Amino acid sequence: MKVFSNSETFNYSWEEVSTANWQKYCPWNEKSTHVVAVDTISRSVDPATGILRTERLITCKQTAPEWLKSILGAGMEESQVLETSYVDPAHRTVTMVSANLTFSSLINVQETVVYHPLNAHQTQFTQDAKITALCGGWQRIKNSIEDTMVKRFRENAIKGKEGFESVLAMSRRVFAEEKEREKMGLIREQASNIRMAA
Amino acid sequence: MSQSLAKKCNEVKERYDTCFLKWYSEKYLRGIGAVDNNECSALFKEYSSCLQVALKERGIDKLLEDAREDNKENDADLSP
Repeated sequence: MKVFSNSETFNYSWEEVSTANWQKYCPWNEKSTHVVAVDTISRSVDPATGILRTERLITCKQTAPEWLKSILGAGMEESQVLETSYVDPAHRTVTMVSANLTFSSLINVQETVVYHPLNAHQTQFTQDAKITALCGGWQRIKNSIEDTMVKRFRENAIKGKEGFESVLAMSRRVFAEEKEREKMGLIREQASNIRMAA
Repeated sequence: MSQSLAKKCNEVKERYDTCFLKWYSEKYLRGIGAVDNNECSALFKEYSSCLQVALKERGIDKLLEDAREDNKENDADLSP
């Protein structure tokens, strides 16, 4: 088993980060083009704790190197990940646990991501991934598979941060514009009320 | 918004995602209103029934069941 760990700080409030997290793989994110689809499979709120639990199916274009593809079997153009997330509004944390659905008899990838507030304007991101090659046979091959996956995680971590930063910036802008529109609408409404009263 | 893995579900997915995002940012995070049976529930049902067909066709439904089974421990830890 190999482990990949990473942490980042985003200069956005936890509320902004946890909201933008739902749009992480939208067209605003030009760095995550390997994600082709995101589907919500289930969603529920625990009435006692208020925890929002969501299952999302994330479909990726296959980006494994050719030699690894030949071990995993050809013809798999897409791979899927199940992401189960828990938003805890009382403790203000988002925890996301992801596991690969495709090739799960050969490789086991378990990733945990946590977002929690550092202060009113900053949010901490921590990521841990455990990668285990399960295929029988040579240890050397297992090590190569695990090393390749760790390398991939490292490359994606940089792209992931850049991509999410642009989603956060765009999200903040859109929310500000919407607020402005609502305000203008309210002013217009009041103005017309005054005219009607006069 | 992101795409659905099934093209035919894209339109209802878009409407649901928009509804959810509004509910999440304006109500859920502020602790306002009913949580489980909210204004997006009917849309989710519609989206879900479209998606279920696509998942079955692709054989993903079985993979999901296995992954859910493996995730039970996390459920117990993270949503006690």
